Amino acid sequence: MLKIQNVTGGYSNNPILRNIDIEVQNGDFFALLGPNGSGKTTLFKLITGQLPIQKGKVLLSGKDISSYSKLEKAKKIAVLSQDTSVSFDYTVEEIVSLGRYPHQKGILKNLSKKDWHIIEEVMELTKVTEFRHTQFRKISGGEKQRVLLAKALAQEPELLLLDEPTNHLDIKHTFQLLDLLKKRQEEKGLTIFSILHDLNVASLYADRFALLYNGSLLKVGDASLLKEVDTLNKIYQVQIHVQPHPTVPKPQLLLAPSLPNSTHSTFFKGNYKINNNEQFVHVQFQKPLRTISNGMVGNGIQWIKDYCIFSCKQYSTIPPEEEIQTIMEQYSITPEQTVATIVEGNIGDVVEVEREIEDTKILIIVTPTKMNEKIRGFNMMVFMDGYFNEGALVNSLLIATKEKMKAMQQFGMDEANETNEALYLAVTQKGDKSVTQRAVEATLREMVQLAVKQVYQKEKVVV
Amino acid sequence: MRNLFILKFLNNKIGWIYVGSGILFAAAIILGLFISSVPVAVEKIIQIIFEKTLHITWMEVPKNEEMIIWNIRLPRVILAFCVGASLSLAGAAFQGLLRNPLADPYTIGVSSGASLGAVLVIFFQVTIIGLGNFTLPIVAIVSGFITLLIVFGLVRLSSRSLAIETIVLAGIIVSSFISAIVSLIISLGDRDAMTQILYWLYGSVGMRGWEYIQLIIPFMILGTFILLIHSRELNAFALGEEAADHIGVNVKRGKTMILIGASLLTGASVAVSGSIGFVGLVIPHLVRLLVGPNHRHVLPLSFIIGGTFLMFADLLARIVIAPRELPIGVITAIIGAPVFAFLLIREKIGRGQK
Repeated sequence: MLKIQNVTGGYSNNPILRNIDIEVQNGDFFALLGPNGSGKTTLFKLITGQLPIQKGKVLLSGKDISSYSKLEKAKKIAVLSQDTSVSFDYTVEEIVSLGRYPHQKGILKNLSKKDWHIIEEVMELTKVTEFRHTQFRKISGGEKQRVLLAKALAQEPELLLLDEPTNHLDIKHTFQLLDLLKKRQEEKGLTIFSILHDLNVASLYADRFALLYNGSLLKVGDASLLKEVDTLNKIYQVQIHVQPHPTVPKPQLLLAPSLPNSTHSTFFKGNYKINNNEQFVHVQFQKPLRTISNGMVGNGIQWIKDYCIFSCKQYSTIPPEEEIQTIMEQYSITPEQTVATIVEGNIGDVVEVEREIEDTKILIIVTPTKMNEKIRGFNMMVFMDGYFNEGALVNSLLIATKEKMKAMQQFGMDEANETNEALYLAVTQKGDKSVTQRAVEATLREMVQLAVKQVYQKEKVVV
Repeated sequence: MRNLFILKFLNNKIGWIYVGSGILFAAAIILGLFISSVPVAVEKIIQIIFEKTLHITWMEVPKNEEMIIWNIRLPRVILAFCVGASLSLAGAAFQGLLRNPLADPYTIGVSSGASLGAVLVIFFQVTIIGLGNFTLPIVAIVSGFITLLIVFGLVRLSSRSLAIETIVLAGIIVSSFISAIVSLIISLGDRDAMTQILYWLYGSVGMRGWEYIQLIIPFMILGTFILLIHSRELNAFALGEEAADHIGVNVKRGKTMILIGASLLTGASVAVSGSIGFVGLVIPHLVRLLVGPNHRHVLPLSFIIGGTFLMFADLLARIVIAPRELPIGVITAIIGAPVFAFLLIREKIGRGQK
């Protein structure tokens, strides 16, 4: 559809874009990404002919774009830009009908039946029919953008150029507009070439991506381009983390503010306190830690400050969330950043083990669950002061579980435990990212072994 | 089929506005011919017109009445119409093109140029051989065009794309400069020349005769034609030049053509009647309030209503302090300003209610 071949251009003496090569296939939703001033809008202006192309070629359906007349071009390409102001009180319908300009024929250039048919259709599609006789100036920003989209679609273009179409829109209108475009793309094979600022929105809607930086093309590719964190970090100079979308198979980016931050927290000693008796364990931190857990409340991956384990004689029929809520109220623990589990039996004494490896401090807190004076299981909380990615979290979780089982067998308890055990693994996400995983894993193994052993000793179980 | 078309036409509000302005137009002509210091019966007026145009005679009309109607009043009424229509149409076009409701035919300086030409002719009392009495209007038109070229040259030197802001600025620069020269000439002249110049500058459509109509008509037809075929472009410009370009409008050519068309109308009007204010500003506004901003209707209706308005204004100028006459520019401003103010207030109230 659109082929940009080795294009250099921009303002007369000062080419903003250098040697750009992009090909937009028929029916693609192509997103053009890049920070402000990277030349995205300039590229659009080269395509629409507002700025001169100094070198290279832009081909539209295989023909050089400069060989098209203005009217021919307007029949093939429509443009929707970020904000258009309209002078005088034109009605919505009049604005939309301007989209038929390139198609009007005859001396009088009246709107034909076919023109009206298309105007009705695009107004219906963009849901602006209801205010067709309202003045354009009086409708809201989201509605205005829909009207301008209707105008662009009335041109019956094969290619739609969008220059940050959702710039001033709220989430609802952004998604409404893009849903509409996506539908049009899928149903009518409309090719869309869009500048988008929001990388996450781009990821959800576009099929292909191009990354512009300082007037040159850095990358072209599919959504996996957005997983190249190092490139994105360099271009946008923002800390970017990639996450998979929970329901759509596309990556999403999470951004971190660059606030002055102490790289290493003064580690756990003094930053946490433990309350513990036969009924509960409550470990409270001053600042939240990123936690992966199987708790009944606050499970999965979350930021947690309060780590709780409650005991009960027997599981009741009340849903555990409600029960935990009542218990927490009893102990006046705020439920916002809390992970909690209920286990059957009594809770034994707390054992703490602390180590440091390569500047990464690790703390393990273990309590046994007892029934009839017998140890039935171990609740374990692992705290690590360092940066760990999700893979490392899962790995550490596995190691802790495996090592605990091993230790339990070793110290004489081989009966399968039927009570549920709590396992919380929490990390501060601060400090050096280059900690050797191997070393951490080895230390973790050792610590789990030691902790379990100490519990057995404390509970006076003969080893 | 034809009946259906007419029915549809009449069902439509805009259709009625066309009909209404047509009736007003006819009324203005008849009143303009009928009311004056020497009343002539309507049937005599009709007879004179028929005799002169179609050579049909059914009754005898005294020679002096025929003289008054045919050589004085009719040209005056027609000239009033031509000037009002031209100025109002040019005003609508300038407002649309410059996307500015405060623009009027005098914004880009063509009229100042035409005035300067006229003032020079009056001041030096020159008569170009072969032109005779036409020296003044023709010099005025030519100097109007020279001014347009100067404005264009300035714009071109400072911005390649003929940016709207640059056009307005260049127009203001040139017209202030020319106004200064006009003032200089007035202050240098003797009492007699000064009165004559000032009177011309007030504007008048009286005592011009058929020659002046012959002079304005070609420019009026050409300018009107150019503007009417560019009504779609004027609509497109409401979105801004960039967006107009995106829907396929040849922006530069459209802008140039509209400027030329509107300047033709303005220059010719100023040349035959002096600078009559307010018509080109108020009438397009009034029309927009009636039919909305679509130039397909704004342009022709501005033309008809503007012409009709000036015929009525001229009528008033003749009869208010008869047998003396008021300058027509005074009338247009005295009627125009309150009407304009009323429209503004009404629009505000209307908006508040919605």
